[in-house]
Amino acid sequence: MSTSTPRRNRKPGELALAAALVIPIVAIMGGLVFWPLATSVVDSFYRIDPMKAGTPFVGLANYGGLLTDGNVQTAWLNTFAYVAMAVVLETVGGMGAALLLNRVKHGRQWLLAITVLPWCLPPVVNAIVWMWIFNPSYGLLNHVLLSLGFIDSRKVWFNDQATALFLVSLVHVWRMMPLTAVILLAALQSIPRDLYEAARLDGAGPIKSFRLVTLPLISSGVAIALSQSTVFAFNLFDEAWILSGSSLDTRSVIIQVYLTAFQNLRFSSGMALSILAMLASLLVSLIYVLRVYRETRYD
Amino acid sequence: MRSLISTLPGRVGTVLAVALLVAWSLGPIYWSLVTSLTPPLNLLGAPSLWPQQITFEHYAKLFGATSMSQGNAVQSVWPQFSAALANSLITSILATVVTVAIAAFGAYAFVRLEFPGRDLLFVAVVATLAIPAYTVMIPLYRLMISLKLIDTYTGITLIYVSAFLPLALWLMRSVYQAMPISLEEAAWLDGAGRIYTLVYIVLPLAAPGLIASAILTFLNAWGQFMVPLVFSPTLATKPLTVLIPEFVTRNYIDFGLMNASGILAIIPPVLLVLFLNRYLVSGLMAGATK
Repeated sequence: MSTSTPRRNRKPGELALAAALVIPIVAIMGGLVFWPLATSVVDSFYRIDPMKAGTPFVGLANYGGLLTDGNVQTAWLNTFAYVAMAVVLETVGGMGAALLLNRVKHGRQWLLAITVLPWCLPPVVNAIVWMWIFNPSYGLLNHVLLSLGFIDSRKVWFNDQATALFLVSLVHVWRMMPLTAVILLAALQSIPRDLYEAARLDGAGPIKSFRLVTLPLISSGVAIALSQSTVFAFNLFDEAWILSGSSLDTRSVIIQVYLTAFQNLRFSSGMALSILAMLASLLVSLIYVLRVYRETRYD
Repeated sequence: MRSLISTLPGRVGTVLAVALLVAWSLGPIYWSLVTSLTPPLNLLGAPSLWPQQITFEHYAKLFGATSMSQGNAVQSVWPQFSAALANSLITSILATVVTVAIAAFGAYAFVRLEFPGRDLLFVAVVATLAIPAYTVMIPLYRLMISLKLIDTYTGITLIYVSAFLPLALWLMRSVYQAMPISLEEAAWLDGAGRIYTLVYIVLPLAAPGLIASAILTFLNAWGQFMVPLVFSPTLATKPLTVLIPEFVTRNYIDFGLMNASGILAIIPPVLLVLFLNRYLVSGLMAGATK
């Protein structure tokens, strides 16, 4: 990160002014993010449980307990399923939407507003709207599929784990795809027009110019879009919680953290799990960033 | 590319794709609106894409003093609903004002002032964007209990500010960086002080960035669910996002009521998108690409 300020003589009082402007940030971020984060890490090595006396040091016991807990394992598998489905669908759908928005000339502002809208709504409301669509008896989904002849009887969608995971992901994708689309649109708009002219003159068709001109030039946008999709999918809580509560079939790691800490009051075990989830999501994001940069560097 | 667009099949394809994108984005919201206007008995029959009969019954249940439910007069949910609506508005607006104010002044220091540890501090604050909020939730809960800030506006607002400040700071820093320093230097030569220059010259020029940060912060706060689920146990601070799902836990799921309250809860975000979409999108793009 380079400094943009040209070096100049420090005015008197500049340091005091800087301190006055920055201290609120230091106080809030220090007190409410960095200190709790450090506490989380430290406390995950102790047994902190309001139901049990004392807070003895237990080493890696909390982490060890998580490895053997069947519910935790299921929650991890569910979360990986969410991440895989969400990242693929958001990237493909968001790329399609971005290419379309980049091409539309009339009313682009309106189409953009419509596209962005789902991202702006409270996730809880989104989940409720979709829950009504998925309703087994009166929902729109069953009705449409029945009348089109795709199914011959009403389905209770959340009875089947694979379907339930897919539908929760779908609601999440509905909310998060706009962000991917906007990030990719910003990247697309930074490509100089004459590059496409040149590719066309060289005889490249639309697909070839997409592969050889567009993709390499938007690679950093793609990396950002991939990492934010991943982080948000690892954080999936609202949609799964509203659509099927604490059900093990759809339980994400974050729901497991919430249940462990705030319903079973096993604080330190919850902290250990939340730290593992944070590390996992950071690691996966890092892999994308490195991969995308490496693959596009020599293009 | 251009030759493809000008051909007829290309145009039809574009129109179809636009229709698909619009249907995907608006369809569920439209369906929720239709549901909220359909009489309860019709909700149990075959769905129709246009309401056969429009009723404001579900909205009356939210606003009326008493209302009819399955033939019985029942207590209206207005006292709860209005309290939650007020809580949502108060916490979101407080969080927005505090976040944008701190970011507007703080980001200026990160761009135009020099102090030891400047870049390190900025990187550290922005890096917390990658830390999921729940990682700090459990220690934060114990901290808030010891400070007696559970279920208070102060507590909720502080948590929101700590969660949304990094994004606002990032945005405002990129706004100030894009601003030519010559204007400020001219003001200093005329004898204006640092603070005067910041308030009367820099901030007005940064208005689009301030609006973008305010919209993003407000939308994030308005949609919060997990934070108030833990930190707002009672109607003293409980927002709409936590109250509305509770309508499920009654004897039967009142989908008309849930959709009606959902439609009311999305009015503020919809208004922001309708009138300030330009700022919203520029904020999202700046936050994502810098």
